[in-house]
Amino acid sequence: MSPGLVDRDGETHVRVTSGLVLSKRRFAGLIAGVLFLFAVPDLVRVAQALDISFFQLGVIHRGLVFGFAAVGLNLLLRHTELVSFGHAAFFGTGAYTAAVAAVYLDVTGLLVLLLLATALGTVMAGVIGALSLRHTGLYFALLTLAFGQLLYAIALGQSALGGSDGMPVRPGEANEPLLFGQALGDAYGVVTYYITAVVVLVGLLVMWRIINSPFRYALDAIGQDRTRAEFIGLPVRRYVWTAFVISGVYGGVAGGLFAVFRRYVTPDGTLYFLQSGDILYMAILGGFKTLLGPLVGGVVLIVLEFVGRSVTPYFEFLTGTVLLILVFGFPEGIVGSLGEGGVFRRAVGQTRHGVASLREDPSVAGDWGRRIGRGLRQQIDESLTTLRVVLFGVS
Amino acid sequence: MLEARGLEKTFGRITATDDVTLKFGREEGELVFIVGPNGAGKTTLVNLLTGLLTPDEGAVVMDGEDITAMSPDERVHAGLARSFQVVRVFEDMTVRENIRTVVLARRKRTRSMFSLADGHEEVEVTVADLIEKFRLEDVTDSVAEELPHGDRKLLDVAMSFGLDPNYLLLDEPTSGVSTREKEYVIETIVEVSRAEGVTTVTIEHDMDIVTEYADRLVALHQGAVHGDGTPEMLETDDELRRLLLGVET
Repeated sequence: MSPGLVDRDGETHVRVTSGLVLSKRRFAGLIAGVLFLFAVPDLVRVAQALDISFFQLGVIHRGLVFGFAAVGLNLLLRHTELVSFGHAAFFGTGAYTAAVAAVYLDVTGLLVLLLLATALGTVMAGVIGALSLRHTGLYFALLTLAFGQLLYAIALGQSALGGSDGMPVRPGEANEPLLFGQALGDAYGVVTYYITAVVVLVGLLVMWRIINSPFRYALDAIGQDRTRAEFIGLPVRRYVWTAFVISGVYGGVAGGLFAVFRRYVTPDGTLYFLQSGDILYMAILGGFKTLLGPLVGGVVLIVLEFVGRSVTPYFEFLTGTVLLILVFGFPEGIVGSLGEGGVFRRAVGQTRHGVASLREDPSVAGDWGRRIGRGLRQQIDESLTTLRVVLFGVS
Repeated sequence: MLEARGLEKTFGRITATDDVTLKFGREEGELVFIVGPNGAGKTTLVNLLTGLLTPDEGAVVMDGEDITAMSPDERVHAGLARSFQVVRVFEDMTVRENIRTVVLARRKRTRSMFSLADGHEEVEVTVADLIEKFRLEDVTDSVAEELPHGDRKLLDVAMSFGLDPNYLLLDEPTSGVSTREKEYVIETIVEVSRAEGVTTVTIEHDMDIVTEYADRLVALHQGAVHGDGTPEMLETDDELRRLLLGVET
């Protein structure tokens, strides 16, 4: 079916391709998003003029790259409901592959480096997946963590990989990877950004197809009831392994992009388990029940860290506080809360409804007061009970 | 023919299945009921046949092939399906999505990563057909979690039928269903299995249902086969009556 306007439920929708039919509003959002993504290098100059320090190409680029890894991780998290604490392993494998290929194999091609990073990241995901997926739940999470740290230890211990100092991504004589044999010079940052932008778009499109496919239903089934999934004829472990590898591909690509754009890789910056934690955090921050959430979460978290770091050396305090607010207040994440049925929409709806009923009958205000008072009392009671339990061990 | 050959299963000191040998012929639409007091090993037998448990001794043979070592998902594709005593559906999916997932899985379409899930036309036809047969039209787009219990049971059974089995094992499809709904659930099952020519083996506690619908009755007691015959057994076998109904004679 061709693109164009279609009528659905009496409203005009835009059909982008078969299966992707958006309301006019969402279509406009999509266009705006894509334009914004490609306009970032230009907007950075505007931000500079306005003295907005966090809006730098490097910061946004880094956010997109990590966010892209989070998009991959989210396939596991959202559908098979498995929590992996080792996603930095694929990210790091991709990043180190690019560095090693550049330094030791003299691979100069930027795109070749990316391809190698993707390939090795995928193979690593295949191996780690095959070993970790014998278990589920906590043991799975711990195994992924363990394998990630194993790779971290190897990178740290090998002097050929630069140990804790890490290594550059500089092929032989050339100072930087080349694009079609050309040195990019001053344009390097901008051009690699555009490459990332294109890869991110394509990656999102592919992920969108996957999460609308029959394969995704199999993953959902496995996530919701593993036993029943087996009894409807699904070879569960094979499916989960495939999903694991796909998420690893995204990790490997992201690692490759990271290595190419930073031109330097370190164990702490790529393989360390806290990076796995960050990637997981990004998915939840942005909204892991959405396609775009993890990407948005990636950019927001990196910006947050950047801002935090410039304000206080204890910037983790800031990100930690945000995580707490998120878990208690907005478990659907940024994109999830903004979407249909999200917290924000509901709050707006409630406020509108409230104002309308207040206009009709002002006496409802008294009711509200009483209700709020009752709620508060209940909250205080509960808090006191918790406090008693904590302090004295009795309720 | 689905066969249990000398199946044995013990849990610690308890013998849950004690040398059970049974044959379920592939006579079109035969309704077999398994009865027995609590702890007689009914569910264990179903678990052994479908591959949730592996027997300590003995073999499961289907259509001449030894399937004892086959995984549950392979058994499904060989034509063996089951439902569970406690409803096991995919709670966050709608009724339609639940059934669609099952049909896609059975036809191995779930391997497809880049087609649209609702774009497989023959699958959608089967899904619509199942929804109609199990009279779930009114709740098609409801999330499974929010369905009334009777509908959840029906959905569970509809999913098992969606696997297009030759042999279907149902573990208490009417448990927890109100007396009024029970009739409705069991009648739907009977109707569909007759129409589709599926051999259905059902664990059932309600003797009225067994008497009314059973073509054949298998009674278990302490893990072993106590009797195997027609439902008249319930009238003639005093020992069985005592076991099942607590009736002293």
